[in-house]
Amino acid sequence: MNKKTFLRMLVGFIIVQAILSIWIDYTLEVGVEEEQGRFVIRNVENPMTIQERITEEFQPDEYRIEKGKPLTIYGSERLYRFFGFFSRNPNKAIYAFQLIRMIIIVDILLLVIAYLTRKKMSMIPTKLQLVFEMMYTFFEDLTRETLGKDKLHFTSYVLTIFLFIWTCNIIGIVPFPGFVEANSNINAPFGMGIMAVLVVHYMSIKHKGFFKYLKGYTEPFFPLAPINFVGEFSKGISISFRLFGNVLGGAIILLVISSLVRFIILPVGLNMFFGLFIGTLQAFVFTMLAMSYIAVEIFD
Amino acid sequence: MEVIVRAAALLGAGVCMGIGALGPGIGQGYVAGKACEGIARSSENSALLTRTMLLGQAVAESTGIYSLVIALLLIFATG
Repeated sequence: MNKKTFLRMLVGFIIVQAILSIWIDYTLEVGVEEEQGRFVIRNVENPMTIQERITEEFQPDEYRIEKGKPLTIYGSERLYRFFGFFSRNPNKAIYAFQLIRMIIIVDILLLVIAYLTRKKMSMIPTKLQLVFEMMYTFFEDLTRETLGKDKLHFTSYVLTIFLFIWTCNIIGIVPFPGFVEANSNINAPFGMGIMAVLVVHYMSIKHKGFFKYLKGYTEPFFPLAPINFVGEFSKGISISFRLFGNVLGGAIILLVISSLVRFIILPVGLNMFFGLFIGTLQAFVFTMLAMSYIAVEIFD
Repeated sequence: MEVIVRAAALLGAGVCMGIGALGPGIGQGYVAGKACEGIARSSENSALLTRTMLLGQAVAESTGIYSLVIALLLIFATG
């Protein structure tokens, strides 16, 4: 099967799914069945109102516990038993399944793109290679400007953060039922914020030495040490909550306006703004801030 | 009693969003105006200026985002 046929099939599948998702309001449910504690993948009818959907967007894990039995189940459901691992408390679903599903999808997507790009590298670049070379060059210049010439190996870290957050943000505009932005759950941005703060502290210890790093907490005079300590960790909270709030706010506005106009035309433009523009901007801002935090520690 | 708590939470969410959006709005507009001045003065630096402007605006926006989070907490986690 050549590439053109595959792309045509993919586009056709997306269009059919998009058209179907207007009439058939089903969602893909991946999680734990409440009664017997079995892992389940199935398409269920969506028995929720708009208010409940917003609530689920805000707290997907807590809401899944209270949700009742689905009215209709489409197709065949696949049940897996995990040796009673999940069935310790059958009334509680395991947390954040939606988030984990989206993160796995994003990871597989990035791996496939990386494989396709690296499969045939040439001096005269193909289109895909050209796009990623431009992206790499842009971030290399950015790293050189921000962190200096001898820290160019940070480009891979920076570009990885950017690509992951960016893909997580713009995957919400794919019109599959059940696709959400992974960043609209607080756990994903918070994890990346913790990682960024850890890298900052590691670079600080490596650059200054451990005792000078500890001395940095008592910077003007000693009684301010607790405030400095809290301030260091509020860095991670600040950048992760910024990403989370922007993405979740966009998602809720999209949901409300889409249900007002019955999913016709207008959500496409809103998706362009909230998905593409805000998503790209916030991914870039997260990357730049993580880099600036490192730069503050490196340059005295 | 619960109705009063619910109503107070909703009212508080509205007030929180309204007041919380004031500061970031003023700050972001100020930053954009200054960036316009800078670009008009030295247009060869416009890429750097635009990038710095967007970064500064995103940082200034964070208090608005915090108020959004608090408003969402008031709406969905109260009552």
